[in-house]
Amino acid sequence: MREYFEKITKELFKNISSNEILIVNFDAEESTFVRLNKAKIRQAGNVKQISVTLSLSNKEKRNLKSSLRLNGNVDRDISTLIKALNYLKRELPDLPKDPYLMYANSVHSTSVSETKSSIDDSEILDYIIMSAKGLDLVGIYSSGYIYTGFANSLGQINWHSNFSFSFDYSIYNKNNNAIKLNYSSKTWDRSKYDLILNNGLKKLEILSNPSKNINTGHYTVYLEPSALNEIIDMMSWGGFSYKSNKIGTSPLHLLNKKERSLNKSVCIDENIKDGLSPNFNTDGFIKPDNIKMITNGEFTESLTSPRSSIEYSVVHNASSPHEYPCSIDMKEGTIGSEKILSTINNGIYISNLWYLNFSDRNNGRITGLTRFGCFLIENGKLTSPINTMRFDDSVYSMLGPNLIGLTTRRDLLIDSGTYEERSTASARLPGAIINDFKMTL
Amino acid sequence: MKDEFLNQINTYLPSVDYCSFRFVSKYTNILSVTRNVLEPIEIIEDEGLMVTVIHDGGFGYGATSDLTRQGILRATEEAKKWANFSKGHLIHQPIPPINAVDNGKYFTKEKDGWARESNKDKVDYLMEINKALKAKSAISNWGASFRYNKVETLFTDTNGSKFRQNISYILPQLVACAEYKKQIQTRTYGGHAHARQIGYDFLKDSDLISRASIIASDAIELSMAENCPDKKCNVIIAPDQMILQIHESIGHPLELDRILGDERNYAGSSFVNLDMFGDYQYGSDKLNISFNPNQESELATYNFDDDGTEAVKQFLIKDGKLIRPIGSYYSAQRADQDFVACSRATSWNRPPIDRMGNINMEPGNSTFEQMVSSIEDGVLLETNNSWSIDDYRNKFQFGCEKGTVIKNGELKGLVKNPNYRGITKEFWHNLDLVGDESSFSILGTANCGKGEPNQTIFVGHATPSCLFKNIDIFGGES
Repeated sequence: MREYFEKITKELFKNISSNEILIVNFDAEESTFVRLNKAKIRQAGNVKQISVTLSLSNKEKRNLKSSLRLNGNVDRDISTLIKALNYLKRELPDLPKDPYLMYANSVHSTSVSETKSSIDDSEILDYIIMSAKGLDLVGIYSSGYIYTGFANSLGQINWHSNFSFSFDYSIYNKNNNAIKLNYSSKTWDRSKYDLILNNGLKKLEILSNPSKNINTGHYTVYLEPSALNEIIDMMSWGGFSYKSNKIGTSPLHLLNKKERSLNKSVCIDENIKDGLSPNFNTDGFIKPDNIKMITNGEFTESLTSPRSSIEYSVVHNASSPHEYPCSIDMKEGTIGSEKILSTINNGIYISNLWYLNFSDRNNGRITGLTRFGCFLIENGKLTSPINTMRFDDSVYSMLGPNLIGLTTRRDLLIDSGTYEERSTASARLPGAIINDFKMTL
Repeated sequence: MKDEFLNQINTYLPSVDYCSFRFVSKYTNILSVTRNVLEPIEIIEDEGLMVTVIHDGGFGYGATSDLTRQGILRATEEAKKWANFSKGHLIHQPIPPINAVDNGKYFTKEKDGWARESNKDKVDYLMEINKALKAKSAISNWGASFRYNKVETLFTDTNGSKFRQNISYILPQLVACAEYKKQIQTRTYGGHAHARQIGYDFLKDSDLISRASIIASDAIELSMAENCPDKKCNVIIAPDQMILQIHESIGHPLELDRILGDERNYAGSSFVNLDMFGDYQYGSDKLNISFNPNQESELATYNFDDDGTEAVKQFLIKDGKLIRPIGSYYSAQRADQDFVACSRATSWNRPPIDRMGNINMEPGNSTFEQMVSSIEDGVLLETNNSWSIDDYRNKFQFGCEKGTVIKNGELKGLVKNPNYRGITKEFWHNLDLVGDESSFSILGTANCGKGEPNQTIFVGHATPSCLFKNIDIFGGES
C-alpha cells in the first residue's frame, strides 16, 4: 500500500508549480466485520476502501480541498487525481485568502509499518462461536489493516500502518441484564480471550439476582475505567481545545480560566507516544510525545492546532483541526482493586455509563445513564443488579471535592468505533470512587 | 452513462441463489465562514459498490472502492466466501424477494441546482450572514456554513431488478454565542433540524440574514436571562425540538432490529416487544405517527430502500395505538410482522439495517395561539441542544437552547438552559394538543448514529408544535 501511495504522490507533485503547495492525506483500510446476535452471525463481510484528500494552496494563502475515493489502481487513480487537482487549480484564484493557513514547511519524514499479521479471521470466529454456544452473546468482531499517510510537495512523507482486531461484545442473562466485554489486540491469544469471557461470566452470575430499583438521590459510587472514560470523553467535546476555551464553548472553560479546579489527584495527558494513532497531523506537523492537559487538578495545556496558533498568536502542538484528544492518559490513584468495595461499603458499582450529554455545558454539568453490569454494594459486597438510573452532575463536583480517589489499576480502552472507518483512538485510565453522585431519574 | 454502468456490472452478477450489486456515489460540499473568515472549502467524492450474496443458506457481503471489473469480482468472491462461512451459523436465513423492480427511478427536485451557483457567490452570502450575526458587540462567537450532499444509488440483482435514485439535500448552519459574566449562551439555526431535499433556492428563500439577526438577539437576551425554573408544568414543544423527541422516543424504540436484539451491544434495545403491536396504547389518542417516504422535499423521501423494497406511507401509531414496527423486508421475516421500506445503509461500505426514514407526526387541529392561550403557567421549548435516553428508550432528558415563559396565556421573557426529563410512556400519554398545518414543519437531521459497524444516516421528521401536560422542567447551575 505504501508503494502505491508513493507512486501517486510522486505523479501529483510533478504537476505543482513553484507558486503552489500540495498536501496529500491518505487513508485506507481492509476490514473484516462480523456482527453477532445470540451467538449467531447477523451480518458478515469485508470492506476495502482507499481515500485521498488533496489540499492545494498558493503563496497568496488561498486554499481548497478535495477528497476522493480511489480504486487502488495506480494509472486510473492518477488520472482521477490529476482531474481533481486541475479543478482545484481553476477554483483557487477566485477564493478569498485564508489568513489562518499553516502547514509544515520543514521536512520531517517518519514511518511506522507493521509486519504482516498471522491472524486467521475464520479460525478466530469459529472459536468465538464455539465458545459462546448456549450464551446470549451480541457484538461485533472487526479486524484488518489501517493505513494513514501524509505527503507534501516540499518533500515530506509520513506513513503509519497498523494491524489490529477488536471483539466488542456483551453477554446477557435471562433477565436482560448484561456484562460488556472487549478483547482488542494485534495478536490473538486464546487464553486471554477465555480469561476475559470467564471473568465476564462470573459477573453475570451476580446479575442473575433479582434487580432492584433504587431511589433518586446522592450515592457513593465506583466508576470502572470504562465508565469514567465516558465522562472524560464528554469533557473532550471541546474541553481541551484551545479555540473552544477561547470562545467559551468548552465545558471546561471555567477550569481553563482558573475559576474552578478539580481534585489534586486528577492528571490527564494526551499521550501520543503510547497510543495507537499516527504521530503526525493532517498538516504534516509531528505531534509531541506527551501533552499535559490537566495537572494536579489545574488546566495546564490545551490542544492547539496550527490554525488556532495563527488566529490567537500562540504556539501550536500539532493538534488535529478539531483539537480533540486521541490518546487520553489519566494518572492512576492509590486505591487498590481489593479496597474498592470496602472503601464504598454501601453504594453503587457502575461498570458502564451510556448516552452522556450536557445539561449545562457552561458549568460542566453532564447527564447520562447506567448501563451493563451495575450493582448495589451493601456492607462492602456486590449484592444485586440495579435497574437503569439517570445521573446529572457537574464534573467539578464528581472530579472535584466529591472524588474520594482513583484506583491503582488502569485499563487500556481501545475505541471500537467504526464510523466511516475504524478508529485508532484509545484511552488509558483508572477507576474512580465518587461521593454524592447525583441520581435524578 | 449510469445506465451503461448498470448494464455493464449486471453482467458480473454471479450464479448464486441471490446476489445484488448496490453502487453508491456520494458528493459532499461544505463551505464555512467562521468569525468572518472562510475555512478551507471541502469537496468529498466517495464511490463504491457493495455485493450481497445469499447462497445455500448463507449470507455475506463484500464492499470495495475498486470499481474495475477485477475489483467487483474480488468483492463478489469475498461476499461468496462470507456466505459460505456463515452457512449454519446465521441467526436467520434470509429469504430473498421474488419480485423485481423494473427500472425504478427517484430524483430530488432541485429548482436551483447547487452547482449552478459559484463558490464565490456562496461565500459572499455566508460573509453577509456573518455580518448580521456579529451586528452587536456582545456576540462572542459566530459562524455560518452550507452543506450540500448528493447520494446516487444504482441497484441491480439476480431477480432482474434495476433502479436508480438520486437524493440531494442541503443543510444550512448558523451559530451565535453571547457571553455575560463568563456564562455563554448559544443559539443556532439549521444544524440538527433544517436539512431538506431541496435546491439552492431553499437557502435564498430562507432569509438567512433575518434569521441571523434573530438568533444573535436571542443569544444576547439568553445570556442575561434567569435559568429555567425547576418545576412541573405544561409545555409547548416547538417543531425543532419535537423532531428530537419523536426521533429518540418513538423512532428508535420502534426499530425492529433493536426489538430483535441486534443493537444490544451498541445503540441499545427497546421497551417495545413484539406482542405490543396492534394492541399497545403508546400515547394519548392525539398521537398519530407515520412512516412517510412520500412527503415531498423531506430528507428521507425515496421510492426504494437499499434492498429494493418499494416505499409507501404506513401508520406506525394511530390514535395512540401501536400498529407496526420500523422493520425492513428481511427483519419482518424474523418477527412475522408487516414491513416498511426502511432497509438503509449510510453508503456502499456498510450493509443496510433497519432505519428510520421520514417518521412524522400527523398534524392536529390546534393553532399555536390556541395552545399558548390555554396555558396559565408554562414554558415554550425551542431548538434541541442536548439529548440523552436509556438503552431501552424509557428514561430521557433533553435540553433546549431557548425557553420562553408562558404566563396567563401569553408569551413573556426568555429563560436559559431549559431542560426537561421524563419516561417515554408517561410523556406521550401527556400529549394534550397537536398543532395544525400552520405549525407543521418539514425538518430532518443528517446524523443519526447506529449499527455495528457504525453508520450515520439522514432521517426526516415533519411535525407541528405540540402541548404536553405535567412535564418536569429545570435549568442549569445557579
